Amino acid sequence: MLLEVKNLHKIYKNGTHALKGVSFKVKEGEFLVIIGLSGSGKSTLLRCINRLIEPTTGKIIFNGKDVTHVRGEELRDLKRQIGMVFQQFNLIKRRSVLTNVITGKLGSLGTFESIFEKFSDDVYEKAHSCLETVGISEKAKMRADSLSGGQQQRVAIARSLMQNPKLLLADEPVASLDPATSNSVMQYFEKINKEFGTTVVCNLHFLSLVRKYASRVIALKAGEIIYEGSPHEISEEWFRTIYGEEAEEVEIR
Amino acid sequence: MSSIPELDIHPHHIIQKKKDKEAKFNLVKAIFLDIFFVFYAIIVLQRAIYYKFILQLRELPFSWNEILLIFILSIIIGTLWAVSRTSISAKLFGIAKDTKVTKWTVEIFGWTLFNLTFIAGWVVTQISIVDIFSSEGIEGANRIFGAMFRPEMGIFDDALFAIIETIYIALVATLISIPPTLLLSFLSARNLMKDSKLSFSVYYVIRVITNFVRSIEPLIWAIIFSVWVGIGPYAGMIALLVHTIASNAKLYSEAIESIEEGPLEAISATGANKIQVVWYAVVPQIILPFLAFTIYRWDINVRMATIIGLVGGGGIGTMLMQYQGIAKWHEVGLIVIMIAVVVWIMDYISAKIREAIY
Repeated sequence: MLLEVKNLHKIYKNGTHALKGVSFKVKEGEFLVIIGLSGSGKSTLLRCINRLIEPTTGKIIFNGKDVTHVRGEELRDLKRQIGMVFQQFNLIKRRSVLTNVITGKLGSLGTFESIFEKFSDDVYEKAHSCLETVGISEKAKMRADSLSGGQQQRVAIARSLMQNPKLLLADEPVASLDPATSNSVMQYFEKINKEFGTTVVCNLHFLSLVRKYASRVIALKAGEIIYEGSPHEISEEWFRTIYGEEAEEVEIR
Repeated sequence: MSSIPELDIHPHHIIQKKKDKEAKFNLVKAIFLDIFFVFYAIIVLQRAIYYKFILQLRELPFSWNEILLIFILSIIIGTLWAVSRTSISAKLFGIAKDTKVTKWTVEIFGWTLFNLTFIAGWVVTQISIVDIFSSEGIEGANRIFGAMFRPEMGIFDDALFAIIETIYIALVATLISIPPTLLLSFLSARNLMKDSKLSFSVYYVIRVITNFVRSIEPLIWAIIFSVWVGIGPYAGMIALLVHTIASNAKLYSEAIESIEEGPLEAISATGANKIQVVWYAVVPQIILPFLAFTIYRWDINVRMATIIGLVGGGGIGTMLMQYQGIAKWHEVGLIVIMIAVVVWIMDYISAKIREAIY
């Protein structure tokens, strides 16, 4: 078992109860997709796993180790093993694509060499190979914000690959992209999952994408898991329970 | 200093506890604010309205006993008012009862406070329609204005050197301020320092000190330093330097606080340490605003340097003070015109540079 989440609660300072006792397990090599409305707690859940957010109560066990409240060097070690891709790409806009990819490696680089940007040849080689994996090695020298949305997200994926992550978290990675680009970005996640065996936990909105890429699905509603199972078993009825009575499924190809 | 996680407590208790605590805290805040409001209202009512308007006293009587009496009275009224949850502060902190009484107190007392403040302001500033239209006064103003519009060109060389000195005072103060300001701004940016108790207390101490230093005008600093290092441009430069560091540290740190959080999150998610996060996620986002602030500050410092000269900070201000002291208004006229021209040019240049940067 790579990841185990037990009875996780998160209460924000303003009193919002974002997660209400979430429990699930993730096996190595899985492609787990989390669905649910905006505000259902998907992003909070992902951020609790790599501890960008402090969980209030409950347990998170990663790779056999309780990481719920680790600090300092142990916390950095946890973060090094988990890659993350965001909805808004979160690249450093004014720097080159290559530098952005290298920032994925910062966790294992010394403070000094990273500030003076004296990276070893290994680091550069690794960065180039990560860019090749996502198919944009020819853009290495360009400024990150001169790329299109889909290309920026691929750079962000390359950045997370620099970490050689055991687990890759993706927080609505295609929500700000157009349908065609969404599919191509999702294909890179699939490639990483299949070729490198990296476990992927991904928040998604579109059911057609879920059915195409997920090996297992969890549905969150108001901070609780209301569905867990195969993506093909989500019926019309389940869909309405998850997304509300008014919802209608939108196709994305 | 890690606290033990509250695993056994049910989350709903945590929420309830937070709410109770907040309500209690708001009531305490409301009580204090109400005491202040009532105290303020009574004091203004007594001194500005009763003594000044009704009794028409020239000298206002003052006694500590009276003040103490009013204070005790307002403690009683304020506390009762807030606890009954119908006061203006209860409304402000969101703990007021939703009744007609609350609505009335908020409206009537609010208006009363506003009007009292305006009347008190009128009394304190000694507004007088008579003084501004007195023939004697207008004649004096006429004399000075007349002289200033016929400037004495004989002192042009001296004034030119003095104003160059002023520009350099401002420039040197701005340049030297940059490294310490950078350091302080990172240490006083909330989003970088809020994580641990130690860093937050550093943040707090630096905020308090810079706020204090900034609240003292450069003019006062110039007086202090002209005693410390002697009258002249050096004193003026240090005065500007001190104030520049304190004010720009605030501007810079606000720029840091308003950066996009996304890249910060992304870089720290890779397991990077604090310094790496700042270097890669913060610095690229703030370089341009920092540059713009610094150039703008140079422009401000040129204006301030002329004022600082008035109290012995060197440059054109000192010269202006000397001629004003012996009532040579033609010379003063030339100096004022030169200051205006230089300030206008600086303003224009700094605006152009800032435009080019963004």
